[in-house]
Amino acid sequence: MKENRKEHDEEIIRKMMQPEMKKAPENLKYRIMHQINTEKALTPQKKKPGKESGNLLREMGAIFGSMYAVLSAMVIGAYLLQGKDFLLTPQFIGPVVLVASVFSLFWLMTRLDAYLKIRKK
Amino acid sequence: MNENQCVQQVLSGNTSAFAYFVETYQDMAITIAHRICGNMQDAEDVVQESYVKAYRNLHSFRSESKFSTWLYRIVYNTAITHTKTRMWMGSQETEIENASELSENTLEINLEEMDRKEVVSDILQRMQKGDALLLTLYYMEDNPVKEIAKITGLNEPNVKVKLFRARKMFKELLAECYSMEDVGFN
Repeated sequence: MKENRKEHDEEIIRKMMQPEMKKAPENLKYRIMHQINTEKALTPQKKKPGKESGNLLREMGAIFGSMYAVLSAMVIGAYLLQGKDFLLTPQFIGPVVLVASVFSLFWLMTRLDAYLKIRKK
Repeated sequence: MNENQCVQQVLSGNTSAFAYFVETYQDMAITIAHRICGNMQDAEDVVQESYVKAYRNLHSFRSESKFSTWLYRIVYNTAITHTKTRMWMGSQETEIENASELSENTLEINLEEMDRKEVVSDILQRMQKGDALLLTLYYMEDNPVKEIAKITGLNEPNVKVKLFRARKMFKELLAECYSMEDVGFN
């Protein structure tokens, strides 16, 4: 009996409260969506993390890989054009050392550059 | 499309999918904000700010709770910050405050001229903001006590006690305006 009365009262309050729901104005949705779209447009897109400048192995692979490719081309060219003996002459070893030195120097410079960038940050 | 799919769409960059949440919950959001702020202008600003906050923090929304509960919690917090209101006073303070309001206001209002809706609106305005909000959440949206606790940050037994008091206060104030039989109470 008491429970029924309670439920009855609850129902009356619910009926009385329902029309109390406020109605949002027509333009509110537009205002909200407009602000959200503006924010989205103004927010810089997250950049994908770039290549890690200090990736030692990758840099070494790229530079020394190129170096060995150039040296291989030189060896094959000299072998085919001048013969096997030419490969042991100073005229051939000189340019080989030069090419190796240039690439090594280049690698050293990239390492130094990466180090300075990290230090600057 | 369910709400979780909508959330995923918004997170993947489709902002127009967010319109679904605005359309579905804006009325209740503005009702909550109005209950706390006390006027429509501030309530609209609060709701707008809340939706933008919800959009910004959508990645932190956990699907374990309902989206509406999560959103109303944001609206509730934003409205409180906006108005710098102290929502939950002690029960004694409430009763004293309401008792004084009752004695002051009942003579001023010509109840014969007001329809039921206006009376309810007036009663809710006279009640403590927190109590009126609890009744709003409980009766308008049929939110269970558990959800109300999440929205208001109160614990469940506390919500039950406050809801009981709010209901009692509502009936008492209503009795001042109508005879209880007119309304339908036994």
